Amino acid sequence: MALPVHLRDSVTPQELEMIACQQLIEIVPLIAMEKTAFISGAYGPLRPPSKAKLPLWMAVNLKLKKKCHIIAPDWLNVEHLQDRLAQEVAKPDAFSDLPFRFSEISKVLLDVASDDLENPDQLRSLLKDLREARQAKSREGLKHLDHSELGLTGLSSMEINEIRPFFVQSMNVLTKIARSSET
Amino acid sequence: MENDYFSVEAILAENQKIQCTFKHEIPNMGHLGGGTERDIAILSKLQLPMWLAYVIIYSDWAEFNIPQPFGLKVRNALKAEATSVRLSNLVGAGGMWYGFGKMIMDMLSDEQASEMSEMMTKAFKGRVVELVDQAQHFAAIGPGGAGGSGSDVAASFREGLDATEREIFTLAQASAKRMKKWHEESDKAKQ
Repeated sequence: MALPVHLRDSVTPQELEMIACQQLIEIVPLIAMEKTAFISGAYGPLRPPSKAKLPLWMAVNLKLKKKCHIIAPDWLNVEHLQDRLAQEVAKPDAFSDLPFRFSEISKVLLDVASDDLENPDQLRSLLKDLREARQAKSREGLKHLDHSELGLTGLSSMEINEIRPFFVQSMNVLTKIARSSET
Repeated sequence: MENDYFSVEAILAENQKIQCTFKHEIPNMGHLGGGTERDIAILSKLQLPMWLAYVIIYSDWAEFNIPQPFGLKVRNALKAEATSVRLSNLVGAGGMWYGFGKMIMDMLSDEQASEMSEMMTKAFKGRVVELVDQAQHFAAIGPGGAGGSGSDVAASFREGLDATEREIFTLAQASAKRMKKWHEESDKAKQ
């Protein structure tokens, strides 16, 4: 296969970011735009100052050109994330309920639109804490690895992508050395 | 590492020698033992590589004992603390302890085989967590800085990994490095 090893079994974080950017997000446009057709669909019209829903990639693009303000999704604020973090700590066996692509979306928004978010530094540190708490749990899950199945419900897309290569390889190894006991 | 005809790892793993006791006399095959005899006498012990021993044992011309890398001493050491055993020492350069063990397991009777399988599975599970931890720690430092960092215990664990474990270590380290790089990327530079 012509792909390098790290691309054969998993997706790159940049690709996941691109996929996540197709989600719709609300913005307050600063310019007017007619209903325009794009490959993925028609968006607009944009009539400032009323809000509009656009795909994230377009919102980021407009924001970088200073043509809109992005409105944070309802889970990206301090109270909500603090609540989730408390849930993570309280339940050592389960993962808390976070949007599937929260890691990618939050990284993009903190990067581009930190002035539109309240308390970006606190958000960053909360997200980091969440990531570390969840990583510790998936490490626990690694201890209970079986050759046939492992349940880690509630993991987000970036976390799955991160652990996929070595989890799958470990399960392969376990399958090979466990085979005899089943025949 | 499976019974894949073309797998380089499988071929290397098969090159390990095990000791076989011949049950019959075999004329004109003395060169297998590496010595100068012309024939193999009955009950003589020879060290044969796995790929040869496999056929001979299946055809019931010889018997073999469980070789030293899987003997009692190693078993007890693994039971005591799986991460402290240096698997790469047991099977020589580029060690394939798990691969070798799997091949032996295929030749044993059910009861002995499931004992071996359990020993290997427990050893693997015990070591894999430490393995992944170290890999993620190393992702932050990068390949060049591996020399001076980490305590002696960690460094000797890494040296004692067998080939299959090294593969997993590389996968985990690469994955963690990519994640870190992505997190530090910024779109603001692009316009």
